[in-house]
Amino acid sequence: MRVEYINPFVEAAFNVLKEVLTSDVKRGELYLKSTTQPVMGVAALVGLAGNVEGRVLFDMSIETALAIASDMNGEKLEQMDDLAKATITELANMITAQAVTKLHELGFTFDLTPPAIFTGENMEVTDSEVEALIVPMELSYGKVEINVAVRERV
Amino acid sequence: MKTKMDFPSINERKPEGVKEDGSPYRVLVVDDSMFVTKQISQILTSEGFEVVDTASDGLQGLEKYKELYPNIDVVTMDITMPKMDGVSALEKIIEFDKEAKVIMISALGKQDLVKKALLIGAKNYIVKPLDRVKVLERIIQSIK
Repeated sequence: MRVEYINPFVEAAFNVLKEVLTSDVKRGELYLKSTTQPVMGVAALVGLAGNVEGRVLFDMSIETALAIASDMNGEKLEQMDDLAKATITELANMITAQAVTKLHELGFTFDLTPPAIFTGENMEVTDSEVEALIVPMELSYGKVEINVAVRERV
Repeated sequence: MKTKMDFPSINERKPEGVKEDGSPYRVLVVDDSMFVTKQISQILTSEGFEVVDTASDGLQGLEKYKELYPNIDVVTMDITMPKMDGVSALEKIIEFDKEAKVIMISALGKQDLVKKALLIGAKNYIVKPLDRVKVLERIIQSIK
């Protein structure tokens, strides 16, 4: 996978997290995975389809998701209820929208699916015929991994 | 308001969401995200506005506008929504009431739709992520 697909997502995630959270945001080291990967507990998935295709996953633990949702709402949320899920969905929306604007400027054209939120334990994600690039974002609430598996349409 | 009589205000500034006659500006919030609806409501309520109703898609937004009319001053309208998108709902609201004050709420990268909305008659727009200052400034500009 070409690194140029992931950079807009990393930049957008960094900018949006910094803007909507009171936490510090630090970018971790990028790594590549080609096999099945564990998912931490709450994952927002956005699909891409066009001249590039694949998916972007925003992956975090339930504790991190709740801390982020609490910060964004300005009140303590105790459970992954509808409001917490709507908040994480909106976060994924804002990050993806900013990344896509950049990718469109670079000449990639594709449509997006609305984010789907997965919650649970012992989840894994497998992508066939495309490896995933992952960039962790370190927050004081724990980490959010930006996990991008995208390829050019053949 | 009773609290004001009990505790004289040390802050002389009148909340922006209150009209000359002391009644609040009445707002309808149309957005499919519970989070955004809550965020906008909190910002507006804190400045004296009254959120009279909310709708979670464009069609419901249109219906609620018609029900509330003429007891409604301003609408915040998300662009991407199920059933009927915000631009279509705006168009129908303007058809019904050409004086309607509608402010579009947009994700980044929807410039074409925002332009279309402004041409149809939206009074202003706000790009997410929303911050308090930006939301109040844009809404106040369009009602005064």
